[in-house]
Amino acid sequence: MRRIHARLAAPAAALALLLAAGCTGGATQGQAGSQSSAGAEKEQLTLAFETDPYGWDPSNQPGYQNWQAEAVWDQLVLCDANGKLQPNLADTFEITDQNKTFKAHIREGVKFSDGTPVDSAAVAASFDFVTKNGGAQGDYKGIKIATPDAQNVSITWPTSQQVMANKVCSPRIAPAAWLKAKKFDVPVGSGPYVLDTAATTTGSTYTFTKNEEHFAAENYPYKKLVVKVFASPAAAVAALRTGQVDAGLVNLADVAAVTGAGMEIKKFQGQTTRLLLTDHLGKVVEPIRDVKVRQAINMVFDKEAMAKNLYQGEAEPTAQVFRKGSDAYIEGLQDPYPYDVEKAKALMAEAGYADGFDLELPTIAGQNFETLMPYVTQQLAQINIRVKQVPLSGANAIGDVLSGKYPVVLWQLGNLGNSALQIYIESTPDGWWNLEHQPDEYVDSRWEQMATADEATSKTLQQEINKYIVDQAWFAPMVYTGSNFAFKADRVSIPTESDQEALTPKLRDFK
Amino acid sequence: MWLSLIKNLVRSLAVLLVVTFVTFSLMFANGAGIAQAVLGLGATSEAIQAKVVELGLDQPLLVQYWNWLTGAVQGDLGMSFYTGESVSSGLATRVPVTLALIVVTLLLTAVLSVILGVTAAVRGGWVDRVLQFIAVLGTAVPAFIIAIALVYVLAIRWPVFPATGYVSPDVSFPGWVASLVLPVTALLIGAVAGAAQQFRSAVLDTLGRDFVRTLRARGINERYVVFRHVLRNSAAPGLTVLSLTMLGLLGGAVFIEQVFALPGMGQLAVSAAAISDVPMVMGTVLVTIVIVLVVNFLGDLAITILNPKARTR
Repeated sequence: MRRIHARLAAPAAALALLLAAGCTGGATQGQAGSQSSAGAEKEQLTLAFETDPYGWDPSNQPGYQNWQAEAVWDQLVLCDANGKLQPNLADTFEITDQNKTFKAHIREGVKFSDGTPVDSAAVAASFDFVTKNGGAQGDYKGIKIATPDAQNVSITWPTSQQVMANKVCSPRIAPAAWLKAKKFDVPVGSGPYVLDTAATTTGSTYTFTKNEEHFAAENYPYKKLVVKVFASPAAAVAALRTGQVDAGLVNLADVAAVTGAGMEIKKFQGQTTRLLLTDHLGKVVEPIRDVKVRQAINMVFDKEAMAKNLYQGEAEPTAQVFRKGSDAYIEGLQDPYPYDVEKAKALMAEAGYADGFDLELPTIAGQNFETLMPYVTQQLAQINIRVKQVPLSGANAIGDVLSGKYPVVLWQLGNLGNSALQIYIESTPDGWWNLEHQPDEYVDSRWEQMATADEATSKTLQQEINKYIVDQAWFAPMVYTGSNFAFKADRVSIPTESDQEALTPKLRDFK
Repeated sequence: MWLSLIKNLVRSLAVLLVVTFVTFSLMFANGAGIAQAVLGLGATSEAIQAKVVELGLDQPLLVQYWNWLTGAVQGDLGMSFYTGESVSSGLATRVPVTLALIVVTLLLTAVLSVILGVTAAVRGGWVDRVLQFIAVLGTAVPAFIIAIALVYVLAIRWPVFPATGYVSPDVSFPGWVASLVLPVTALLIGAVAGAAQQFRSAVLDTLGRDFVRTLRARGINERYVVFRHVLRNSAAPGLTVLSLTMLGLLGGAVFIEQVFALPGMGQLAVSAAAISDVPMVMGTVLVTIVIVLVVNFLGDLAITILNPKARTR
């Protein structure tokens, strides 16, 4: 056996040497996340990313956590946190012709990463591209694009637009030839960063180097940007705690772990937890057509208790679905539906539904249902509404939710800085979150007026719509909630918030 | 022997066809849902229908499967519905990561299982009892739990190894080793637990055979008896266990890649399946089946080489 031990000594020593090399590599790896520090030149920003971006088709970029798209492409104009337009590739612009036409002057001297100039032809091609590609084609139906010269462009819609801002700040500007070829393996844009393909592994790590010639280079202090994909929240938290990444979203349950590791949290309140009661005409769930039933549903939820117990104090009760400070938000609105189960029962009885009814509620991963649904089910049972949960999964899940098959849905739906856009999405017949797509004369007439209204009038109309929605109990809003963004304060600061969805910082917010 | 191997090959092809067809069928009839998921929430019904046609999802099941199969035979596994990336190039970057993980784990499993199994069988006593304990522990505790514990202890609490990520060996060999230590260890514990037990049992069984008694009676050195005769005769069940261990590692790698954010095939398979990215799912299934079949084939071949009796079957 002594010879066996001797024979094992050599491989054991080799293994020990490998492990020692690994420890050294590990220590280096752990510290290599970022070498930047407050006040010093910024070398690298490393961000954690929840889901892999869907390739480099500019018409199919996510609106949420889209740092990679922000890195490589510019938009013609930017939408700020309130959905108001800001200069970008266009240094001057105006909306004319009763909100039908958008005119822009493109700043001079800007080039794409392939060396071709950013001009009106590229802008026209980019807007034309989204009329035929991507999920927003409906927003650009029938547009006419004029390019009087290389630096000027005008885009005209066939009808007045209530949310012109969102439609002009969304398309990503790319060279016409690149768009025509539709070969999207490597992005070409004029953005503040350029993709480093050698240091990029699709689905894992995306590395970008700074475009020093960018017209707003001073807004992007990092020489290198690395975006790492973490499908597992546990892996993202481990990477944050060990300094492998500088910043990223964390779940509420992980906040203590990352703050314990010295990270700070920037809270975003871009969501309103609510029941959508979209079948106002009662075509699918007949009882929902009665406003008393919808009001009763509103009155069985103790919002204060929800904020304290279900969200551990990290939520704020609300009676409105719109974000504080947005045009549609009504300052000082008293909650017309305070928590009162007995009154809710009385309303149900008045409506003729004292015995309640059956209701299917779909559930889907990622919406905090495991926390919320038991409470919602329990409270609706107090007024004899018997909830049957319908679990949805896979690629069909969202499609099933939006199909109208389930007119009542529990969702942590976004509240947008641009409340006009939110009205369109949730309350007009064409809006995809108006699940039954049912018209309403009050809302639709004011929506029509908003198309040609000035800012002040639009704000008034939006608040009228909001008041109506509250009175008619189209939703059962519960709390404002949102996301927690962890960051290492000695490496990165986030002094501004530019995301109109208020879910994460935009790339330009990292300093 | 060769006839047997050819028969195995034909059976393997049949398995490949059946599994890929069943997988394809399970993901069929999801065209509109996939198109909506690709385009986003606000997509119009016209845009969704156009995308369904563009992706060929309006074709009947057999037509879609045939198109995929004929492409696969020619080396074209199609393009991801979501990223537009070639499935082949996507797999080309992912498969080496998973293979690195499971091959390193398998090699270490083989070495450690033989050492522990032989030692426990030959020496018995406390070594054998420790092995029994490790076997129970390794089987009872799932690899991902071990992984999370390793991350906490050796990456967060005492930062010895990186918590996440993978470094390619051509970028940095020490970095590559570092990035694999914790994931391999998480898989190794369970793998060794099972394989060492099997080796121990096989060695014990062989040690009780008449020919071993005869060799000892002839005065042949015990070390020679164990390493030259006993191990060789215990190889067949041991290699079978290692083949099965390899397959188990393929499944375990899916969880481990999630915990350590390794850009491997397992993580790709999970994310592709979640969004019904059919070409990518089919690509990962095809590669997985090929690996399974190759491993089985090599295992059978090794047994045939080591065991002359198998050659006459």
